[in-house]
Order: sequence, then structure tokens, then C-alpha cells
Amino acid sequence: MLASWKVLAVIAVCSAYGLFVGAIPGLTATMAAALLLPFTFFMDPLPALVAMVTMSAMAIFAGDIPAALVRIPGTPSSAAYTDDSYALMKQGKAELVLGVDVVTSAIGGLFGAVVLMIAAPLLAEVALRFTSFEYFWLAALGLSATVMIASTAPLKAGLALLVGLLFSTVGVDITLGYPRFTFGVTELLNGVNFIPAMIGLFGVSEVLRNMGSARLNLPVATVRAEAIFRGVARTLWRYKVNMARSGVVGVFVGILPGAGADIAAWIAYAISRRFSREPEKFGKGAIEPIVDAGTANNACLAGDWVPALVFGIPGDSITAIVIGVLFMKGLRPGPMVFEQQPQLIYAVYISFIIANLLMVPLGYLAIKASSTMLRVPRNILMPAILLFCIVGSFAINNSPFDVGLMLAMGILGYFFEANGIPVAPIVLGMVLGPILEQNFMVSMIKTNWDVIQFFSRPAALILGFLTIATWLIPLAPIFRARGAPAT
Amino acid sequence: MKISDTLVGVGFVGGGALVFAATLTYPPMDGGHPGPALFPRIIATLMAGFGGLVAVRGVRARDATQEVAWRELFRNPGFINALFVLAGGGAYITLADWLGFLLTGTLVLFVLMWRLAVPPLRAGVVAVALTVVVHGLFAKVLRVPLPAGLLWW
Repeated sequence: MLASWKVLAVIAVCSAYGLFVGAIPGLTATMAAALLLPFTFFMDPLPALVAMVTMSAMAIFAGDIPAALVRIPGTPSSAAYTDDSYALMKQGKAELVLGVDVVTSAIGGLFGAVVLMIAAPLLAEVALRFTSFEYFWLAALGLSATVMIASTAPLKAGLALLVGLLFSTVGVDITLGYPRFTFGVTELLNGVNFIPAMIGLFGVSEVLRNMGSARLNLPVATVRAEAIFRGVARTLWRYKVNMARSGVVGVFVGILPGAGADIAAWIAYAISRRFSREPEKFGKGAIEPIVDAGTANNACLAGDWVPALVFGIPGDSITAIVIGVLFMKGLRPGPMVFEQQPQLIYAVYISFIIANLLMVPLGYLAIKASSTMLRVPRNILMPAILLFCIVGSFAINNSPFDVGLMLAMGILGYFFEANGIPVAPIVLGMVLGPILEQNFMVSMIKTNWDVIQFFSRPAALILGFLTIATWLIPLAPIFRARGAPAT
Repeated sequence: MKISDTLVGVGFVGGGALVFAATLTYPPMDGGHPGPALFPRIIATLMAGFGGLVAVRGVRARDATQEVAWRELFRNPGFINALFVLAGGGAYITLADWLGFLLTGTLVLFVLMWRLAVPPLRAGVVAVALTVVVHGLFAKVLRVPLPAGLLWW
């Protein structure tokens, strides 16, 4: 099924697209996913999934290139080791850094794919027994983890999440069919259109931010592509334990709803420094954290798909966007997909394998072309991206209303990011909101509004307990202070 | 567009109140149980609560960001560029049906690139080329009915 020329063309084009977007500072992998949305809307589900998987794998690696060459991470997942990468470049070791980046990314991605292939079917067996109670707590746990664990500013992340949940209530409600927050606008009866909203939040807001930036063109160092793999094998053999550890860290962070590759990279970096024999070198040109974080962020990508495929709960903003697209195509990710449409599951597995195997040769070519890519004039690139955003939003319903919605979301995203409010939780709120509300209302109606029933089943009890425990995380320092002996 | 946390928090408190007020006319379910209003009200209440905490934190930190930001905002070329971006989108909404995609897209691209100091000749050539490519991709490959406007092909 992946051997058709159409799917192979999708892999080739999306690989190039992901490498290009990831290598340009200011263009994130999530933005790339949002811009890819209008095209996946017109594709069948299988090539749409293949496109997203391939693009994201390449983009997460490609963010390492400008991190090393101009000290600006191409994507947030490369931010953790930007200083070390750039410092090593200044020492004349740019080729070693980029070679380590591409190989650790491929290894991390393959490791994550193997875990995905093993874990997802096992969890799907468990998920088949889930009822509305378990799904409610799972959605609540995912939303809570996004705010409490995966964010450095829980209050503001909570606000963003609530905005996303509010957007998910727009349209006809599931209980009485009553129109909520439509203000008489026909286009809002089906809710906030997901694709223009994503394009606005991640595409237009980035354009607004980049157009507002004083530095439009970047000074770039040149790389000797023929020397990229020199010394890589020796380096990776020296840090083989680090790679194994970081692969596990990356996958587990990915499984956590709302925590993406950037979180995985930072956690792997912190663990690497904790266990390193030379922690004083971190931040000043150490290759060890690059090995760790570079492995973790790509391993995390596959981990993000575990909750997305098994429960329909996104692991990060990219899988949230993919789930939104699948919903629009009438597909509901979950355990039944494993039985009714296994070809989609296998497509995701094989896409990850292919993308990560192709990452080494394509990554080599991207590194070779990096000087050229990074010199693309941004004063031409940004208007071009805006035009793609406008047409992409218009194309879904052939409606100027969607273009207006895109602009409004762009302003919202721009304002939020300028004030330290993360935008990614909005996506999670929009995707998980209907799951949360629907399962809550179904549970309440079938139990005649008996709230105790939410804890009546063992899995529901465990998930409920975990969710409530997550809410109590901010209170942990208070309890710790009270428990400390008086001095 | 940075403003103080106090203002951000107060904004969300106000937003939460508005959302709550908007749900007052929503009908209940049979038996008087909450229906369409339940979830929005929970969201509104939490939004007001979180917003209040952000506002309090802003007051405690004596965040005076908005005093600096507003004064310099319209002197900031980056902010003006952002307004041009929004105007470009607005221009598409208002002009595309009349002028058509090809002309409107070219106009929007040209004005934005000119604003970003791209030489006019290069901006014109790139604007035309990019618009034709995007038109080909969406209208011919994806068969999206982009408005023809004054140009009938």
C-alpha cells in the first residue's frame, strides 16, 4: 500500500518540505503541519498520515542545522542544545555536530517506531474495554498533564487550554442540538473550522512575528559536507548508554499527552548533565548533550502517536492536528481502528521506519544545501507563506469567512505568544474538548447524574486518581515545606 | 504587543464573565439538569479564576509593561509590518471576488515585499511568479475553485 507511486511521491515531497521548514528559523514543525493541512484535506487518509509522519520526522532533525550554524534553533525541539552546537561550530567542529545530529535523530526515531509498534497494539487491547468513564478521565488527564507537567507556565497554559475548550463548544451542542456561540453566523453552526484555525494560530502568527523582527536575513557559516560522518561512529559508541537512555526518555515523554519533542529534549539534556562525568562543559561545547537530546526529540515523535492512535488523545500539537484532520474525514482514532482499518496503523509504522531510514541520506543533502537554504530571503519567504495561508484556509470551504477566521486566530496566536501564553494548548483543547464533553454528558445521562459512578470501574478509578493527583502538583512545594524539619 | 500580566488577567476575568452571561439563556435538559450551558459555564468559571490569579501575580510583580509598550507601539516598524500582513488578508477577503485570485494575490505579495524593502522590479516579478505557481497548485492540481474575477481563466 505504501509502494504506490502516489504515496512514494508524498514521502519524497514531504521529506523535502519538512527539511526545508525545519531548517528555517521561525518556521516550526507545527507550522509546517498547519500549512500541510489543506493538502492533506484533499488526500485519502493513508497518504495524509504518511505526509504528516514524514514531514514531522524530517523537520525535527532539520531544526538542528541552524542551531549549529547560526545559533538559532530551527524548531523548539533543538533549543536545548543550541548553545553547545554553536560553540562546537565555532571550534571548527560543525561537521561532527551535524553528523551526530542526523545519525542520533535517525536512531532515536527508529527506536521510537519500534516501541510504537509494540506498545500500541497492546494498549489497544486494553482500550477496547474502555467506556465513556475511562475516556472522560483520559481526556481530563491529557488536558491536565498539558498544563501541569508539560508547561513551564501552568497558569497561562491553563488559560490557553480553556480558550481551546471554549472554541470546541462553538456550534450545535451534543445534548439538545442547541447552537452555542454562533451569533447567528451560519458558518459557525458546525463549530470553529479546524484547518483555518490551525493555519492562523501557527502560520499567520509566525508570519506576524517574523515580519515584526528586525533581523530579516542571517549570516551563515559554510559546512564541508564530505566530512559530516567523520568521527560520528566513535562518538556514538562512546555515548551508547546515553543514546539508549534518551531513547527511552523520549518515548515516555511522547506518550504523555501534550508533551512534545521540545520537552523531551530538555528532559534528556537535564538527565545527561546529571549523569555526565563532565557536566561543567555543558553549554560551552559538549557533544554529549547533543547525543542525548538529539536522540530523545526524534524518539518522542513516535511516542506521541501511541496515545493518538490508541485513544485518540494527541501526544503533542502535531498529532492533535492530525487527529483533527482524521475527524474531518470521518475517522475516529482509537482501538477500533486497529481492527477495522489496520492498514492506517501499519502505514504510520512503516512511514516512521522509512522516514528515519531516509533521514540519513536526505539529511546529508539538507546539510550540504544548508548554506543556501538559510540564505533564502525572508522578506520574500514571509509574504509567500502568507499567501499559502490565505489560499489554504479558503480552499477548505471556498469561503472568505475561513480567511477571516484564520486572520483572527493569527492575531490571537501572535498576542498570546507575545504575552507568554503558549499556543499549543489551544489545539489540544479544541481536539480534546468534544471528547471530554461528550463522554462526560453520556456518562452523566446514563447514570442519571450520579457522579460517584465516574470512579466505579477500576481503570476509571486509576485514571481519575492520576488526574486529580496531577491537579495537586502545584501544591507539592507547600506540603514539602510543611514536612521539612524546623532549623 | 506585550502588555502587563495584570491586564491579561483582567481581560480573561472579563472574558469568563461574558461567556457565563452568554449561557444564561441556554435551555436546560429534561428534569432541570444542565444541558448546553454546563461546559461553557465550567470553562468560564475556570477562565475567570485563572485570569484572576494571573492578574494578582501581575500586581504583585508590579508589572508596568504596558506603559512602555503602548507608547512605542506605532513607532515600531515591526508592528506596522504586522498591520500590513493583516491588511493583506483583509484585502483578499474584500477584493478577491471582484479582482480574482491572480490579481489580488499578486497585489498582496507585491505590497508586502515592497514594505519589506524588496526592490520593486524583483518584488513584481516574484509576486507574479509565486501567485501563478500557487494558483496552479490549488486551482489545477487540487481543483479548488479560486475566484476568477476580472481575468476569466
